[in-house]
Amino acid sequence: MQTKRTIFPNKLLPYALLAPQLAVTLIFFIWPAAQAVKSSFEREDPFGFRTTFIWFENYTRLFSEPGYLNSLTKTAIFAVSVTLLSMSLALLLAVAVNRVLKSNRTYTTLLVWPYAVAPVVVGILWWFMFNPTIGIAPYMLRGLGIDWNHRVDGNQAMILVVIAASWKQISYNFLFFVAGLQSVPQSLNEAAAIDGAGPFKRFWTIVFPLLSPTTFFLLIVNINYAMFDTFGLIDATTNGGPNQATNILVYKVYADGFLGLNIGSSAAQSVVLMLIVIALTAIQFRYIERRVQY
Amino acid sequence: MATIDLIDLKKNYGNVQAVKGVNLTVADGELIVLVGPSGCGKSTLLRMVAGLETVTSGRIEIGGKDVVRAEPAERDIAMVFQNYALYPHMSVRGNLEYGLKNRGTPRAEIDRRVQDAADILEIGPLLERKPRQLSGGQRQRVAMGRAIVREPAAFLFDEPLSNLDAKLRVQMRVEIRRLQRRLKTTSLYVTHDQLEAMTLADRLVVMNGGLVEQIGTPIEVYDRPATLFVAGFIGSPPMNLIPAASLSGGENAEALQLGADTDIVGLRPDQLHLERPEGNALTLAGTVELLEPVGGESHLHVQIPGTEQPIILTVQGRPKLEEGDTITIYARPENIHPFNQQTGWRTDAS
Ligand SMILES: Nc1ncnc2c1ncn2[C@@H]1O[C@H](COP(=O)(O)OP(=O)(O)OP(=O)(O)O)[C@@H](O)[C@H]1O
Ligand SMILES: [Mg+2]
Repeated sequence: MQTKRTIFPNKLLPYALLAPQLAVTLIFFIWPAAQAVKSSFEREDPFGFRTTFIWFENYTRLFSEPGYLNSLTKTAIFAVSVTLLSMSLALLLAVAVNRVLKSNRTYTTLLVWPYAVAPVVVGILWWFMFNPTIGIAPYMLRGLGIDWNHRVDGNQAMILVVIAASWKQISYNFLFFVAGLQSVPQSLNEAAAIDGAGPFKRFWTIVFPLLSPTTFFLLIVNINYAMFDTFGLIDATTNGGPNQATNILVYKVYADGFLGLNIGSSAAQSVVLMLIVIALTAIQFRYIERRVQY
Repeated sequence: MATIDLIDLKKNYGNVQAVKGVNLTVADGELIVLVGPSGCGKSTLLRMVAGLETVTSGRIEIGGKDVVRAEPAERDIAMVFQNYALYPHMSVRGNLEYGLKNRGTPRAEIDRRVQDAADILEIGPLLERKPRQLSGGQRQRVAMGRAIVREPAAFLFDEPLSNLDAKLRVQMRVEIRRLQRRLKTTSLYVTHDQLEAMTLADRLVVMNGGLVEQIGTPIEVYDRPATLFVAGFIGSPPMNLIPAASLSGGENAEALQLGADTDIVGLRPDQLHLERPEGNALTLAGTVELLEPVGGESHLHVQIPGTEQPIILTVQGRPKLEEGDTITIYARPENIHPFNQQTGWRTDAS
């Protein structure tokens, strides 16, 4: 393969050009990451005078701590719910828009807006709507006989953060699904229609299988999003409560480290999270290299 | 087995009239080829018959039953698409079975039909492959297979060979013809390749601008084109169309017995001669402008005074002529096609 090559007359210039990016990566990513790994093997005394190297004790303690196991479960529930909810709604919207061929510009634009909203703002928005004292949603739910108070009820709190997190992510998924749907040739649908498959059957036997590369990609992206990008949202809505009900891993890292000042445990938790990110990224890269075969 | 009747069929897209009223009857077992230039509405017509496009007005009957409101699946037709439209995630077998499974055909029957189709089309060894593992010609066969396993009342083809290279196209054309003769399934076949149209068709339908210009056997259409458009469209090289006024000089009066409304005369390149034939003949003198040898025959471009375009004639072998030579060419009176410029119609229609 022929690649474009630039020859620099000055030997130092390329390094100089790379330096800012390398510096940013080193200072803001590699160095803190290395610090976290180091801290995860240490214990700090309550006054911060001395640190002792304790091997894997932070980790073993972590996995026997009920709070952490609870957080793992909550994270799994949260990530799976957000992924399923946002992807299925996005797919539904994408299919609908794909049918209305003419006006899909407007719909598409409108449906994409939520993606431009920052997670914290999303959090505040939903916090406000579901606020048990002043929000509109609890007011309407009361009409249906549901007593909404996510400050007390753990399940309701989880439902709230799942809805808020999904709402934002639907836009992103929607865009990819629309693009995916438009790349399925119309003639396949027509051939299937002639072959006696109704709209529903056509969707599940022809369109959906052909969307599988998109679906797989989004699956990874959404899990990633739910696990790592929702910190601001949790912070603005529930603060991980009530009673740890929405204390997902990223939030717990923050709560234990910065609020509880248990640096060793927090560091170990972030190392575990780092490993999860690495694993997800590896899966994604493998997928990009040899696309899902159909 | 079924007939297909189109009765005053029209299709508008907004204010574009794609099909402007077509009447056509396809007999049981007949292969009709729709031919015409790009954008003339061939695909639209075919897709209306398939049920993939709504009908603006008119009727479609398949086997005597009005199907205008019927779903594609209810019309008992099979269609072969230009891009084959094979399901990429299914094996060849899966592609063939899909339509049968959807109709709840029993397993044993499905297996028998798939096996039969695979034998007929010689795609047996490919059954477990995915479409992307097939060559263009093989995909084409699978697309045919998907149509024949269904044993439908009619086949619809939309330019099924246009994605193949020239050699394969000829081969597949012959195969389609043979297959259609053998299965005797009523077929509508769309193409813009007039050679394909001529060789395949029981009857040709020449379309232009959403209207049918002529319906007839390939030979009828070739021998007696009904309109100026058909005259120029069918035949390669195309018919020479010359203003009648430039021919009616003295000695041609006897050969040219033209009606008053004839102002264009058509002459087929292969019906022009360098030797004077027996009896009356149209005589034209001109200079050789270009000599194109095309293998067994040659195309002579001859400039005649009083016409803009040179006249093209096909001569066997390689005539000993040079560009710039002055020659005389002849045409038999019965090979002169008279037309009227204004109406576009033939003027000696019987
Ligand atoms: N979906 C559509 N919306 C608007 N106009 C259309 C649509 N489909 C076709 N047309 C128009 O209808 C006319 C006939 O189109 P059609 O596809 O039937 O042509 P065709 O004879 O099949 O041409 P080709 O040989 O290029 O396939 C064209 O003028 C085309 O622009
Ligand atoms: Mg077409």
